[in-house]
Amino acid sequence: MKALLRLVPYIARYRWQVVVGFVGFFLARFFEVSTYYGVALGIDAIGALVQEESLPFGLEIWEIVVGIVSAVVLRFIFVSRARRAFRLVGQKVSFDLREQLFASVLVQGPAFFGRIGVGDLMTRAIQDISLVQRLIAFGLIQVVIMVYAPLFGMTAMLFKSVSLTVLILPLLPILYFYAQYVATQMAESSQQVQESLSMLAAHTQENLSGIRTVQAQAQEENEIKRFFQTNNQYASAFYEQARINSLMTAWTPWLTALAQLGIIVYGGNLVLTGALSVGDLIFFLACLNMLLQPIRMAGFFITMVARARVGVERLCEVFDAPPEIIDRPTGEAPSAISGAFVFKEASFTYPGAVAPALSDLNFSIQRGESIGIVGRVGSGKSTLLKLCTRLLELNEGAVELDGVPIDNYALAQLRSQIAQVLQDPFLFGEPLSANISYDDPERALDLIWDAADAAALRETVLTFPEQMSTLVGERGVTLSGGQKQRTTLARGLIRNAPVLILDDCFSAVDTETEEHILSRLKRLRAGKTTILVSHRVSTLRHTDRILVLEGGRLMESGSHDALLAKGGLYAELERLQTQGQRPDYEPELV
Amino acid sequence: MNQTIPPNAGPKKDDKPDRDHAMFDAELSGNVLNFQLLKRVLTWLVPYRLSLWVSAALVLVASFAAVLMEVVISRVLVDYIIVGDANSPMPDLGLIALTQQLEETFGLPALYVAGGLFFVLMSIVALLGHWHRLTLIDAIVKALRDLRQDLFAHLESRPSSFFDRVPVGRIMTRVTNDVEALYEMLRGLGSLVGEFVPFFVALTIMLSTSVELTLILLLLVPVVGSATYFFRQASREIFRQVRNSVSGLNQFLQENLSGMQVVQLSQRQDQNRAAYTEINRLNLEQENRSINLTTYYGAFNDSLASIGLGIIIYYGGGSVVQSEMSLGGVILFTRFMNMLFTPVVLLGEQLNVLFRAMASGERIFQALDWDEQIREPSHPATLPERLEGRVEFRGLSFGYSKDTQVLDNVSVLIEPGKKLAIVGPTGSGKSTMIRLLGRFYDFPDGMIFLDGIDLQHIPSRSVRRRIGVVLQDFHIFSGSILDNITLSDPLITRARAIEAAKMVNAHHFIEALPEGYDAPLVERGANLSQGQRQLLAFARVLAADPEILILDEATASIDTETEQLIQEGLQRLMQGRTSILIAHRLQTIQEADHVMVLELGKVREYGTHQALIAQGGLYKTLHDLQFQELSAEVTPPGLVPE
Repeated sequence: MKALLRLVPYIARYRWQVVVGFVGFFLARFFEVSTYYGVALGIDAIGALVQEESLPFGLEIWEIVVGIVSAVVLRFIFVSRARRAFRLVGQKVSFDLREQLFASVLVQGPAFFGRIGVGDLMTRAIQDISLVQRLIAFGLIQVVIMVYAPLFGMTAMLFKSVSLTVLILPLLPILYFYAQYVATQMAESSQQVQESLSMLAAHTQENLSGIRTVQAQAQEENEIKRFFQTNNQYASAFYEQARINSLMTAWTPWLTALAQLGIIVYGGNLVLTGALSVGDLIFFLACLNMLLQPIRMAGFFITMVARARVGVERLCEVFDAPPEIIDRPTGEAPSAISGAFVFKEASFTYPGAVAPALSDLNFSIQRGESIGIVGRVGSGKSTLLKLCTRLLELNEGAVELDGVPIDNYALAQLRSQIAQVLQDPFLFGEPLSANISYDDPERALDLIWDAADAAALRETVLTFPEQMSTLVGERGVTLSGGQKQRTTLARGLIRNAPVLILDDCFSAVDTETEEHILSRLKRLRAGKTTILVSHRVSTLRHTDRILVLEGGRLMESGSHDALLAKGGLYAELERLQTQGQRPDYEPELV
Repeated sequence: MNQTIPPNAGPKKDDKPDRDHAMFDAELSGNVLNFQLLKRVLTWLVPYRLSLWVSAALVLVASFAAVLMEVVISRVLVDYIIVGDANSPMPDLGLIALTQQLEETFGLPALYVAGGLFFVLMSIVALLGHWHRLTLIDAIVKALRDLRQDLFAHLESRPSSFFDRVPVGRIMTRVTNDVEALYEMLRGLGSLVGEFVPFFVALTIMLSTSVELTLILLLLVPVVGSATYFFRQASREIFRQVRNSVSGLNQFLQENLSGMQVVQLSQRQDQNRAAYTEINRLNLEQENRSINLTTYYGAFNDSLASIGLGIIIYYGGGSVVQSEMSLGGVILFTRFMNMLFTPVVLLGEQLNVLFRAMASGERIFQALDWDEQIREPSHPATLPERLEGRVEFRGLSFGYSKDTQVLDNVSVLIEPGKKLAIVGPTGSGKSTMIRLLGRFYDFPDGMIFLDGIDLQHIPSRSVRRRIGVVLQDFHIFSGSILDNITLSDPLITRARAIEAAKMVNAHHFIEALPEGYDAPLVERGANLSQGQRQLLAFARVLAADPEILILDEATASIDTETEQLIQEGLQRLMQGRTSILIAHRLQTIQEADHVMVLELGKVREYGTHQALIAQGGLYKTLHDLQFQELSAEVTPPGLVPE
């Protein structure tokens, strides 16, 4: 329950709406009972007319009917107002939760996203917030029903006949426990349905993704048979859930009818002895429903609260995560970055990893220099680059930029003056132009075309009917791997930043196109710091200096020629790539 | 609707229709009651019609008992026992007489007999109601299981041209979500029947009690009906907007989460936050509109039944005095109010479900009617027990759509047991050649011969049994290693699978796993290294023992040791088989008997490695560029990227 208390401040912001809801429901219940009471009075009045006795309270039938209709109208007004109030609060709280969730993830980094994946976060944003919203919109109503319905039902019944009320009381706990029992069963079976549904979905997806393999091996019939098992399993689980559901639908009214039976036999007796009127008997039957309403809902309510509690916990986990990178500029940093990096005994270990990704790095990069980095998968290349823009934070050692510790820079300055193109070419579902000019949506179109030129993208863009306005991503044109890489490359180049960092941005680009881009890059980046990761010697040879990483350590550094002359790892790589012989050092090429 | 579903006529014999695959994604008309469609859904229920009849009979009896419960209260208890009026002309369906008879038989007071009757009736309602639901659900669940199975089987044999253009996710929702929606629909129709039966039973009794009062109360039904109608009209647009804004929210968030590093590196946090708030606010506004509508609609509906109570009292008061109705008759009416209104309100709700399901039904049938397929020969040629393995491409031209040409008059002959390496830049048509050979696409221009037999005269399944394909993105299914080698083909025994794994050097690493051949693999084989996956793919092909081997060599890096194993495994795999290799590794190319250089779908060069190098043409340029023998500054003429 502690987790649910976290919701209090969110709801408290809309406390007046909540008060409106509670008061509204209270009045609505009152008028609902009044309606039933009116009907009972009416029946008694009719009975009195037949027996030619005096009318109850001296009320004429039409007066009673006016009373009934007024009560109905008033109930309508209050109940719709009250329901609206609670649902509005539910929506407003979800609005606030979404805002907070978005703000929370914006300051997070790889460690956080490693712990809570994108899919998981989406579930939290959709499912968990919706659980909270429903808890407020419908759960609050449940609370109201639980308090008001027995309160009014019981009061009204006690008012009419104490002994009859006491007679049906023992049924309440039975119904309550039954409802709870069914709720647990329902929860179990619905989990099984969920599981077998995801199995069905997984089976389908897997099969369709591998359809070429299946067809290539002519295994369709076999696969169809295999699918039947999963399909049938789901059908069975579904049937079982429906069975439990149906049992509850059968038993709850049966138990209610048992209470009605008590009213008929015992209450009938009371009427015969004159202790109760016929109208009272009908009133009792109506109130009984009201009394049992919350109990019938109990199971549903318990499940809802339990699920919402987990939802709130999961949301709070996101809200409570401290920002991964702390932005605390000291003001000592120069306002223009020139790109002279010094790594001093720099080490980095990913959270939860045993071995460090980088250990004890010592090197410097001069301003205006072009640096190539090479090394096998997992040697720490990307990690090293991410340290330069503080996407990751060093565990030990220091990184200095233009003679000042990198932490002294404002993150905004660091990231706007260092353009970094990541290994994974990520595009947003927006027009191509917006993707290229992502850092500044206002940038002029010709600048965007220039960047596209520099990334050898112009020809490709010209083949699209809508050119720069072409929507990419899931809802737009699907770009090939190479086209995506060149688009992200253009996104990096357009900023014309003092420092450019390219993380293996040519892996899906043809060798020829890469040559093209690199030779242009050489001109564009003259005098500015450029750091690039590549596996191809043909790319690396363009740089001033090459750093060779292995297992997170710097093994060699020097110019292409110097490294070749040295005859170390790099020379071996070069030999392999040029002669295509059996590698002793892994070539990530060809 | 006819416009949204592709015509049933199969593809014309010679002219391949250019299909619009976007149609598969397109939003179908939906939201129209389509009885044709409904009828078609019901055909899957036909095998279970007996259950349906039983279910209908049960609900009829149960509804009747439910109505009788109310008669016991109003007529037996109030009129007969309390008021003492046994002879009123009001209908009691013989219950008063029955009570009198039971009183005499068992010598019990009337009140207890009435109680006993009530107990029996309520138990009948509970029991038969339960059975009714069970038989109904059983029939529906099984019918939809069959529908899903048919759908899956149909999709399973669609050709590659279909899967190329329609994303897996879209096809999947057909099999999962859309079939689910049909369940909601059928279940809804079933419960409507379950509610309307008591409606009509109650109505009959009410009419025989007081025609006038019944008609007055029935006037309220169109009020509920029109409220439902207006609600539907008003809500449709609002709900659509809510759905759109919700998916807008989700899409924005998903994208920002996936591209968070780009967002942070581009310093877009504040802008994106503002944009998100904007979408969020729009969503809130739309949710509010929908709340306003739904709360009033719901409250209005349940108020009408209570207004009905007032009418009954007013009218009943008059009739009772004039002895047209008994007091019990009035009470009977009040007790029937719910039976009268519930089905009407439910109908409104079910209509929504029905409309939604219509769209799903359309999507399902669109998929079932999607008749795109590989053309199979009408008079299939019989293949010899074992093919020699001579493969010939003759004048082959091909394009995936009308206005593209991927292959342009390609001819090449591969003698039995020889190895051909195909080399060329991305998009040159290498993969297309092997796809055509595997009969994944129809090719109207040109021919392919297998041991001199026209490929188009051989059923595609037979072709594929003779050709083993190792694709670059070979697919690993979740299941054990063994399952992945045999692909659950019952014809491939465990011993044969192990034998194959040994041949291609996969046995060693498999044995090293704790569970050996029964070790589970997750989808895409994430728990295996790239090299191990490649070895496994070799084993899979070898176990199937095809006469011809096609290999799309993986470009990714593999560690030295595994590389060694792979090359050895490949040697054994190619042993005695005609092999066509899309080669990326120099060693593989050098070991091939011939090299064919493709560029823009044309055969540019053909010969042995040495001869082509000596020739100094495109092959040499490509070779040099990739393998860096010369300076990389050379940009070969006419080489267009991608």
